[in-house]
Parts: sequence; C-alpha cells; structure tokens
Amino acid sequence: MTDAANPVPAAPSDSVTLTIDGMPVTVKKGTNVLEAARALGIDISAFCYHPGLPVVAQCRQCLVSVEKNPKLQPSCQQTCGDGMVVHTTDPQSTLARKQQLEFTLLNHPIDCPICDKAGECTLQRLYFEHDNADSRVDVPKVHKAKVVDLGPTVVLDQERCILCSRCIRTCDEVAGEHQLEFAHRGDHEVLTTAPGAQLDNPYSLNTVDVCPVGALTSKDFRFTMRAWELEATPSVCNGCATGCNIEIHHKNGRAWRLVPRHNPDVNKYWMCDEGRFTYHPLREHRLAAATVDGLPAGWDRAIRAAADHLMPLLLAGASSGPQVGPQAVGVVLSAEYSNEDNFALGKLARAWGTSHVYVAGKPEVPARADGRLRVADVNANTQGVAHITEALGLAAVPVSELAPEVRTLIMLGTELPGIDAGRLRELDLIAISTHERGPVATAKIALPAAAWAEAGGTVTNAKNMVQRMHAAFAPPGQALPAWEAIVRLAQATSVGTSNKISFAHVREVFTDMTQTVTAWRTLTWTRDVRPLALRFAGSRG
Amino acid sequence: MAAPSSSPGPSGGPSGPSGEPGRSLKQLVLGRKDIQDLSDTEQELPPDLMTINMGPSHPAMHGTVRIVLTVDGERIVNSDVQPGYLHRCFEKESEHATYTQVFPYTDRLNYVSPMINNCGWAMAVEKLMGLTDHLPKRAEYVRVIVSEMSRMTDHLTCIGASAMELGAFTAFLYFLKCREWLYELLEKVSGARLTHSYVRIGGVAKDLPEGFHADLTLCLDQIAKVMVEVEAMLSNNKIFRDRMAGIGAMTKEDAIATGCVGPIARAAGVDYDVRKDYPYSVYPELEFDVPVGTTGDCYDRYLVRLEELKQCIRILRQCLVQIPDGPVMIDDPRVALPAKQATYNTIESMIRHFKHIMDGIKVPAGETYAFVEGGNGELGFYIVADGTGRPYKAYVRSPSFVHLSTASQLIHGHFIADVVPIFGMINMIGGECDK
Repeated sequence: MTDAANPVPAAPSDSVTLTIDGMPVTVKKGTNVLEAARALGIDISAFCYHPGLPVVAQCRQCLVSVEKNPKLQPSCQQTCGDGMVVHTTDPQSTLARKQQLEFTLLNHPIDCPICDKAGECTLQRLYFEHDNADSRVDVPKVHKAKVVDLGPTVVLDQERCILCSRCIRTCDEVAGEHQLEFAHRGDHEVLTTAPGAQLDNPYSLNTVDVCPVGALTSKDFRFTMRAWELEATPSVCNGCATGCNIEIHHKNGRAWRLVPRHNPDVNKYWMCDEGRFTYHPLREHRLAAATVDGLPAGWDRAIRAAADHLMPLLLAGASSGPQVGPQAVGVVLSAEYSNEDNFALGKLARAWGTSHVYVAGKPEVPARADGRLRVADVNANTQGVAHITEALGLAAVPVSELAPEVRTLIMLGTELPGIDAGRLRELDLIAISTHERGPVATAKIALPAAAWAEAGGTVTNAKNMVQRMHAAFAPPGQALPAWEAIVRLAQATSVGTSNKISFAHVREVFTDMTQTVTAWRTLTWTRDVRPLALRFAGSRG
Repeated sequence: MAAPSSSPGPSGGPSGPSGEPGRSLKQLVLGRKDIQDLSDTEQELPPDLMTINMGPSHPAMHGTVRIVLTVDGERIVNSDVQPGYLHRCFEKESEHATYTQVFPYTDRLNYVSPMINNCGWAMAVEKLMGLTDHLPKRAEYVRVIVSEMSRMTDHLTCIGASAMELGAFTAFLYFLKCREWLYELLEKVSGARLTHSYVRIGGVAKDLPEGFHADLTLCLDQIAKVMVEVEAMLSNNKIFRDRMAGIGAMTKEDAIATGCVGPIARAAGVDYDVRKDYPYSVYPELEFDVPVGTTGDCYDRYLVRLEELKQCIRILRQCLVQIPDGPVMIDDPRVALPAKQATYNTIESMIRHFKHIMDGIKVPAGETYAFVEGGNGELGFYIVADGTGRPYKAYVRSPSFVHLSTASQLIHGHFIADVVPIFGMINMIGGECDK
C-alpha cells in the first residue's frame, strides 16, 4: 500500500511519471494507463476491463491516443511508461470510442424497461456520457436466445450480451473453473456453457455483478426490484468466518440482495453465492416479540419473569447446594452474534459469578473450504468470541460439554449443538435470539434480537480482522439489538452495585470492549453510515 | 321541587345576599358592567395601544400571511408581518429532483403566472448548459406568448381581487372572466388549467394547438373590450380613488433601497423592466412600452398594472404575426427527449429516454443566476450544479418575498382598512413568498 502522506518519493525504479490530458501523474511501474487516468479522476470508458480480472483488451472501448504512437492504444492494456503523453479527449480517440459504442449497440435489444440492469448499466452510462446520437441502423437486428438457463443461479440473455468476456474470466479467476465460453463468430457469437454443462460454481453470481449489461441476471434478484429504488448500506457477510465486505441493498425495511464491496485484504471484489443468499433468513422464522412460557409478552414482563427466575439462584449462597446457587446458571455465547452482543453477555456472566460459560455456533462444514473465500467455519464471529472470553477471564468451553449441575441456561442464538432432547427438557432456557427455531421454540423465556443487518456492530473474521457492520433497516416487531436485551436483563438482575452493566449505545459497548480486549485496544468506532440511495449515486455501472 | 323557600339561591336576587348592593345579577353573571353602568371616567376609551391579528387566515391576506398590528384606535402604529405559513421547501425539494422535475415545483411559486416561472427555471438551466440563444426561434416565441398570457392572468387577478376587496365586485367578476378565457387557452396549450409545467429545458413540451392563433386573437379582442369597461368603472370612481390614491406610497429611493422590482418599483418611478434592461428571449424583436408611475401609491400601482395589461396585448398581437414555423425543441440529444417512435424502436433512443427520466439531464458543474420579468417583477433562479442530473443547490429570488418585507413600512400610519388595498397592490403570492 502506498502512503500518500509520505513525503519521501518512491524509489525511481518503482514508479513512472506520465502525462494524461496535460496532467502529470506518478504511478507504480506496471500500472496501466486506464488505472493511471482513474487516479487523476479521468474515467476512461471500458466494458471488458475489470481491476480484479486479467486484461484482454477486447471491447476496444478504452482507446486513447499516445503521442509518438500512430495507432490508438487500448488504455487497459497499455502499460504506463516514463514520459508517456496520453490524450483521452482528442478528436481521434473520442471518435473511435463513439464509433465503438455505436458498434456495440448495433444488435442490442430494446430491453431497458424490462432489464434488471437498467439504472446500473455500464452501456447506458457510457452511451449517455459519450455519444447520445440517434441510431443509424436501418437493417433488422440479429436475434439470439433470450432466456438461456445457465445453471441454478444465473439466467443468460444472449441478445443483451456485448461479448466482453468478463464473466468468463471471473469464472476462471474467482472460482478457478472454466465454465463459460464464446461460441460461433461475428454477429452470431454467443456466450454459452459447454454442451450439457452448467454454470454451477459456488461463485457464479459474481458474473452477474461484473456483467456490464443485463445479459447475466441472478435468478434470486431478477424482476424483484429496480436498482434505482434500492438503498445501499455497507456491512459484512455473516455467512462464514471469511467476513466478505458487502453492501446490503435494501428498500421498504427488507434486504433485496447482497453485493460484494471491494476490500483488498479480505474478499477483493468477490463473494460466494451462499453468502449472497444469507439475507433470506432475515425474513424467515423471526422472533418478533418476547415470549414467556411460549406465549407472547411485552419486554417488561419478559424481563421481570427472567429476573424472578434468576434472582433466587443468584442470591443463594454457595452452601445451598450446586443446583440452586449461581453455579446452576449457565451462559452460552454465540459465534453467530456480534462482538458487542457477546461482550455484553460475557460481562453479565462474570457479574453473576457463574463459572459455566459456553460457546455455541453452527457446526463446521468441511466440504465448504476451498482455499478461496469459502471456509469450513460457517459462524461469522468465532474468533471474536474467543478473544472476548479470554479477555474477560471466562473459561469458555463448547456447549456440548454442558456441566450437569446447570439447570438454567441463558443463551444467545438458536444453536445448542451436542445437547440431546432429554437434557434440553431438564433445562430452563432463557434465549436471546433473532429466530424462533430449535431450542428457542421451547424456551421458557425468549427475547427477540435484531439480526446482523438490523443492528450496528462488529464481527471478527478468521484472520482476526474486526469489521464493522451498519444497521440497514429496522428489526421486525419488538426486537432489540441483543446487547440491549442483555443490558435490560443485567439491570433487572443486578445483585450488587459493583457489577452494574449499563450501556446506552452500541458504541459504548464497543469502547468498553476495546478497553478490555488487549488486541483491539487501538480500534476506533467510526461514524454510522446513512443508507445511500442508489438513484443519487448515479449509475453504478 | 321541595326546595326550602326560606333561603335564597346561591346567585341571589337583584340585591343579593353577599352584601354588595351595587352589583346587579348581570354583573355577577357576566363579570362586567354595561356601558351605561360605567362612571364618566370609565367611559373614556382606554389610552393603551391595542394589538390585533390580521391573518394568517383572512380574506384580504392573499395567501397565508399573518400581520400583528399594534393600533392606536384605527391608526396603525406598528406592525409585524410574519410570512412562512405556506413554506413549501421549493429550494430543498429541488435538490432531490432532476432539472426537469423541478418544473412542476416552479408552477407553484407564483401560481397565478406559472408559465413565467417555468421559463425562468428553464433559462437558468440553459444558461448553465450554454444553450441560451441556441433555442429554435419558434420555441422562444411560444415561451414569450405563454409568458405574456401568464402576466395578464397575474395582473387581472391582482386588479380584480383588489377592486373586489374595496367593494367593486363587478370589476372582479369581469376580470376573473377574462382570466378564465386565458386559462382555458393555456389549458389547451399545456393540458392543465393552472399548473402548466409546459416549458422544458431546450424549448417547450409541445407545439401550440391547432387554431391557437384565432383563439388568442378572439380572446385578446374580448379582453380589450372588458378592460375598457373596467377602466371606466374604476379609474375615476371616487370611492376607488379615495381608497387607493395616496395610500401606501413609496418613494423611488425607498423602492431601490428595499430591492423592489416590477409594477411596485415602476409605480414609484423606477424605470426597470428585465425585458427591456436585460433583454432575453425574443423581447428585443418586440415593441412595447414600460409604464412608469410618479407617486408610488396604490393608485399608481393599479395604473401601471392596467397599462401593462395593454402592453401585454400589444406584445401578444406582434408575436402572433412574427412567430415562425419550425420545431419547438432544441435538436440537442443532451437535453431533448427522443421522439416516442424512436424510443420504442431503437436502443439508442431508449437509453437516452431512460437516462433523461431516471438520471436527469446532465448539467455541467458550475453556478449561475438567470432572471426574467415575472408578474411581480424580477424573478431569478440561482443554481449550483455539480455535474449530476440534479441541482446541488437551487435558490429563487422571489419578488413577493422582497415586496412583503416593505409591507410593514407601507402600512405604517394608515388605517386598518388601508391594509387591504396596500396588501392587494403588493400582490404577495404565498407560494412565491414562502418558496
């Protein structure tokens, strides 16, 4: 990473200086002209170029003139040279790009009103910025297949395809599987899979993201929502321990799709298909109201019921026997919940004086691990919980090793792996959970929690990177962020004055946590991000 | 009904049980005395100043504005004019709309002459895009025609309503009928009677309807006739002159110092008309005079408006003769929507149409101020563009807002009843003043 504030110039051998449209720019050796221009704020139009993919220079949309070179050069393929003088707005290259656009539009179908990409389409954007001239075509367009079922996730419209090959290279680079290819030539060239084969790699939906037009559409998203109606909130995928950076595209209080957000250290430009679908559970089997003995109750009554149940246990001395004192209370942290939620609950467990602290989460899926983005651990925050329990001095063990004297279990989440139905029946469960399923469905008291997309917080991925999530929309019903439910429970069950747990904002939990966990001491809480309406973001293209 | 008769009721009889022989039953019930019961000193009017409200909802408060008057008897000694009851967030809303979507908002500024507002906004955006003077001639003429018709509806309403508030109901009915003829014509042109949204960046939405020339000529002839009658009814009417002449006078210096424009400034002797002093569109090709008053009072404002009506008719008649044939929209794909036929049949026009509607016309970054002569004077739009399809900031210099700021001074020292003609002749339009 280059440090812009560093006054010491880079070593001469590492950098080259060139002039683009009269402006000098110094870039690292090996950078292409297109990227150098972008560093200057000059956006040279391009279809086939993608910073995360190999360069093929086949769309010819980024042609520029380079002095002392009689031919126009594709700026994506032209490596910057020292002293190079590049023009992007001269008549020759402007005309070439206009003509190229006209050529690209030659057989493009008139689909904007029914096309999912409309509003975030590179072709629309470039045409509007560049040419804007009327059609000169007076012959019928070449027709191709409109609905080609490429596989379980993607549908192809061959007419819309502008043959940029981004999707082919995405399959090669991201998934490592060469599943797409061009067939035929000229007017009749089409994108296709091998006969009988499917586009079914676990990263297939990245092809939809990189498609500059609406040729590849996601079966999950197509025809559900117009792109310009959506709002984007940055977040982190909670599908596994990789923690791919994403944008939640949401509207009307629900997510409509998840798209990857660039992070060179985690996921680059990509994410897996499974991660993209993790927004569906946000609307399924949600716990929307607190329940006591299976019946809906308000927050106050549920918290009071929990306190009435817990207080006799917490107040009983150690002499009263193992099954009535604080040791009869177990606390289960969840690797599926944020650092803040787990920290608040861990602190509460310490305040209560119980030594039975457990960690739960979804079981590993070894088949997932592929050495790319997908890993076996399908919990978002395993590392975070490990850091927190260690910093709080809690000897946390997997919940399958539940101590026999535990009679009451305060649990975060829905997972209690390794506990059989008989043992579960003996337990009085107080669950703080986003969903009403598994053990939560039979819990004595269930408190509704906001899910990852609905509450701000941080998660720690497998590489120990603490990443921030922003709340995109409101949680369903009466659900509150889990840390807030824990604070309410703590206040109702506070035994003495010394162990008061009181947080008013998730930032306060975070600050207290970073004071406690040594490795996170330097972390700071950035400002909350307001959702950005995509219509005001212009064409994302 | 077995009440004991020995004790009187709590309210007592005329003399009452309370031991206050002077208090009658009426006093006890009403808590005050009648005027005949007052002593001589008490009968005098209280010497204190009185504070009364006029508006925000009052028949003479055109639009919604509140005046807190401090009166010494009938005489106004102080006043506090409070606009803001009609705040529509025009400027803020504009930041969220594409440049084309702002037109309906401008309709609702001075809603008595919306076409002029449309033109002002279009001219400001065209200035930013460097399209000024590149519009088709016919588009410019159509803009001037609808603008002058709008100016007529503005002045007809102002004079008619003011006369009505002074008791001359006939003049009101006559002029409102004239206004309706013009509204009907404008409806034929634009499709809407009041909120036309007819002008577009780069021209106007569509050409004038068939038979428009004959309709407008007939309309102008009829209005000219009605104006003769109304002028005869009002101009030398003693009641009207007594109520208007010498009321709410403003000096030329004051008019300039307070930033007054339009008929108010011209009545005070300021010879300033944007159409003459900063000529725009095809006004240089048209012959008309700018009436200027001498006394700056309400009567002069009335005379100036009346004369401007006649000048409007004069301009319109010239336009009908001079208007050329041709397109009414500039042939520039950056601003003009493609033809419907092309939109449905070519991808190029489809994209262009889509982008124009969804992202808006791309206006290069910069800032500008463009102004036109509105019904009430210089109407200006100041736009800061950031290169996207929506204004970064839009500001409107609305004449009504400036004029209203002088109202407090103008009504000072006059009777309460004089507030009505002064306000009528200021012609404050709430939608424009509160913008």
